[in-house]
Amino acid sequence: MSKIQYRFKRSTALRFLSHLDQQRLFQRAFRRANINIEYSHGFNPHPKMSFALAMSVGLTSDWEYGEVIVSGELDCNDFMTRMNAVLPNGLEIISAKVCDEGTPSLSSLLEKSYYSLKVKLVPEINFERTNQIIESYLELPVINIQKRNKKGKMVEKDIRPFIESISVCQEDIKNDLINVKMTLVYIEQQCVKPELILESINNLNRAIFIIDPTIECHRHKLLLKADF
Amino acid sequence: MNNYIEKNILPLVTKPITYLGNEVNSVHKTPNADMIRFAFAFPDTYEVGMSHLGMKILYGLLNEEKDIWCERVFAPWVDMEEQLINNDLTLYGLESMMPLNEYDFVGFTLQYEMSFSNILNMLKLGHIVLAAADRKEGDPFVIAGGPCAYNPEPLADFIDFFVIGEGEEVILKIMEAYRQWKKTSGKRMDFLKTVAGIEGVYVPSLYNVSYDEATGVIVSFLPIVDEAPTIVRKQFIDDLDSSYFPEKIVVSFTETVHDRVSFEIFRGCGRGCRFCQAGMIYRPTREKTVPTIQSKIRALIEATGYDEISLSSLSTGDYSKIETLIKNLVEEYEDQKVSISLPSLRIDSLSIDMLEEIQKVRKAGLTLAPEAGTQRMRDVINKGVTEENLLDTVRTAFEKGWGHVKLYFMIGLPGETYEDIEGIADLGQKTVDEYMQIDKELRNKSLKVVLSASSFVPKAFTPFQWMGQNTREEFKNKQRYLKAAIKDRKISYSWHDSGVSFLEAVFARGDRRLGKVLKRAHEKGCRFDGWGEYFDIEKWTEAFAETGIDPDFYALRNRGYDEILPWDFIDTGVKKSFLKAEAIKAQEALTTPYCPENCSNCGIMEFKEGWQCHV
Repeated sequence: MSKIQYRFKRSTALRFLSHLDQQRLFQRAFRRANINIEYSHGFNPHPKMSFALAMSVGLTSDWEYGEVIVSGELDCNDFMTRMNAVLPNGLEIISAKVCDEGTPSLSSLLEKSYYSLKVKLVPEINFERTNQIIESYLELPVINIQKRNKKGKMVEKDIRPFIESISVCQEDIKNDLINVKMTLVYIEQQCVKPELILESINNLNRAIFIIDPTIECHRHKLLLKADF
Repeated sequence: MNNYIEKNILPLVTKPITYLGNEVNSVHKTPNADMIRFAFAFPDTYEVGMSHLGMKILYGLLNEEKDIWCERVFAPWVDMEEQLINNDLTLYGLESMMPLNEYDFVGFTLQYEMSFSNILNMLKLGHIVLAAADRKEGDPFVIAGGPCAYNPEPLADFIDFFVIGEGEEVILKIMEAYRQWKKTSGKRMDFLKTVAGIEGVYVPSLYNVSYDEATGVIVSFLPIVDEAPTIVRKQFIDDLDSSYFPEKIVVSFTETVHDRVSFEIFRGCGRGCRFCQAGMIYRPTREKTVPTIQSKIRALIEATGYDEISLSSLSTGDYSKIETLIKNLVEEYEDQKVSISLPSLRIDSLSIDMLEEIQKVRKAGLTLAPEAGTQRMRDVINKGVTEENLLDTVRTAFEKGWGHVKLYFMIGLPGETYEDIEGIADLGQKTVDEYMQIDKELRNKSLKVVLSASSFVPKAFTPFQWMGQNTREEFKNKQRYLKAAIKDRKISYSWHDSGVSFLEAVFARGDRRLGKVLKRAHEKGCRFDGWGEYFDIEKWTEAFAETGIDPDFYALRNRGYDEILPWDFIDTGVKKSFLKAEAIKAQEALTTPYCPENCSNCGIMEFKEGWQCHV
């Protein structure tokens, strides 16, 4: 029995997978790759596998982590080769390592996430103005947003501590498309969705970003507290 | 188009991944000018359609041919439909995302009548001319098959031709005819006449139907060209064991209705339940052998990574070597955490021990189908199970720790009385009583008995094909009566029929005049009639009124044995005289034995030269 942690990427072809879809997909891929995985005991056994983060529908990423407990010994290169042979186009394992049983769970190690979002600006707003707005946004000591808690009640939450940096650059002048880069910080495994930050910028000023589901959201990198 | 849809349309709809066609084991080919493009169309959602076995077989079979690319298309959900319309896009085949109207063939599978309106809607969204008669040279051939093709007449206006029976062999004959026809630069009509000559193919436009002006019944139903046969013979495969079954099946990303390897272990059923259309039209019974089943399942698990195998058939417990098969499968897969499920189990056919064996991994609820509440009624429908069978089964199940039992019934069966309705409630109560008699230490802590009663729909090619359905009023009264007869709070009962079964009865035994109604209802926006939230009986009622067609004529009328029925031109191998004899026996509550016990001469033995049942 050994625990394998692996890094993988998800590209456009599979960006519409839900978290559950992706879990099922990996579970079946392990079986197709003939990698035996461990199951929990009890009434309804489930496979011992997890991801550092649940990926939202639409997100592409160069940098995700997953872990799985496999039965017996398995070489990590073998793991990668076998998995990549059966994973569909759009998911690829980049690296893998066998770790000690005592290794903390991936989600407890989350530190920073680097995002890039391609967003359209509303017609009257130009790139320079956007830059100014973001600069003054980042100067705010507290940024409260209304958020639904687990019980469904609306509560106030300060999202400023989760934001390390936001910067913008021009992506495509013809289409008024800009690239918003964000570095977000995990605090006690909690973070904030990048789309929510765009929304709060819109709410604190006048609307500057056109926010709809066609925004392309991409994670460049996910930083863990330990070396990987 | 591909990129545009992916970027601008799919992010706006629910389950966008189901519109991309890039699943594991989906087939992608590089098209060329000579390639035959076939869109296999399922007139319901992706989740429903992807669970369908026939599609998997034909998808694999057609794609084995180098010069054919078979793709899939499903009814887009309402949000995707809206996007397609608003953006002036054409419904497309998933794999290549080519617009539907550019295919050579669009082949619909007809699984239930309530999907008929979706067929029209998909044709419209695919920018294909609705009426077959109005299609031009170069338009796709719209074809259809599946169980509802046994009464194809309500769809006669919209479908170029139907395949009656099992499609594995005949579809390849049709494809070969198409290759030849394309070389000749022949006309559309030439191809239709050619396929009319292939056994099992029905081209509705080559037949003329006339009606009695006073009564509205059919007086003649005849071909108008020499190529079209007077009688269309259904097709069945003699040797199921060596017949084609794909080694790879598409694995959906999203959860589908049956998200597992569904493997057909035999076809047909010899029980002869009189309400059951499948039991008649899929005759004769043909089994696959244990080694074939095991090796094919092994390949499928390897190719898909599924963790569940479902052994499918009309009555899985009737498979001659079921115990061996289950034992072997459990042995092979237990360590791999692959579970085995058995749908369609008869109460008397499989021991609970066997069920326990396969449910070592997961223990789900127990579902049984007595179908009727009294012995007399079960004899009328020739169900062949007794109350003792049922109670023995539930008692053993309770002893083994099951606590959730669901019992399926039908109401509105021929000759039904209120005593029979009360019998349903009694059977529920007796099930509870069985539980109560089990030692408290042994039995499950909680008990739930669910009674489910659906409204009976008489179907073509069954002994009840002449019978009028109960009126909606009768159904309501019977349901109310049943609800009142249930006293125990451990028994739950839910019922809902918004008029769906009435409409189902109309189309199940309708004729081609219903095409007008279907078109009218489609224009009024009817689709997803099988989905409660979209079914609108008002619109359908208007459609009947506006086209001057009386639905009661089809659903409620008792038909004479000598009447020409709209589906009489099809020969299923089961003789009409056998069905009539069965109908008469039903009136006297006389039963007919299970095929292997005694042949009742249904006709299937003489249907095809060289065929012998149960050898």
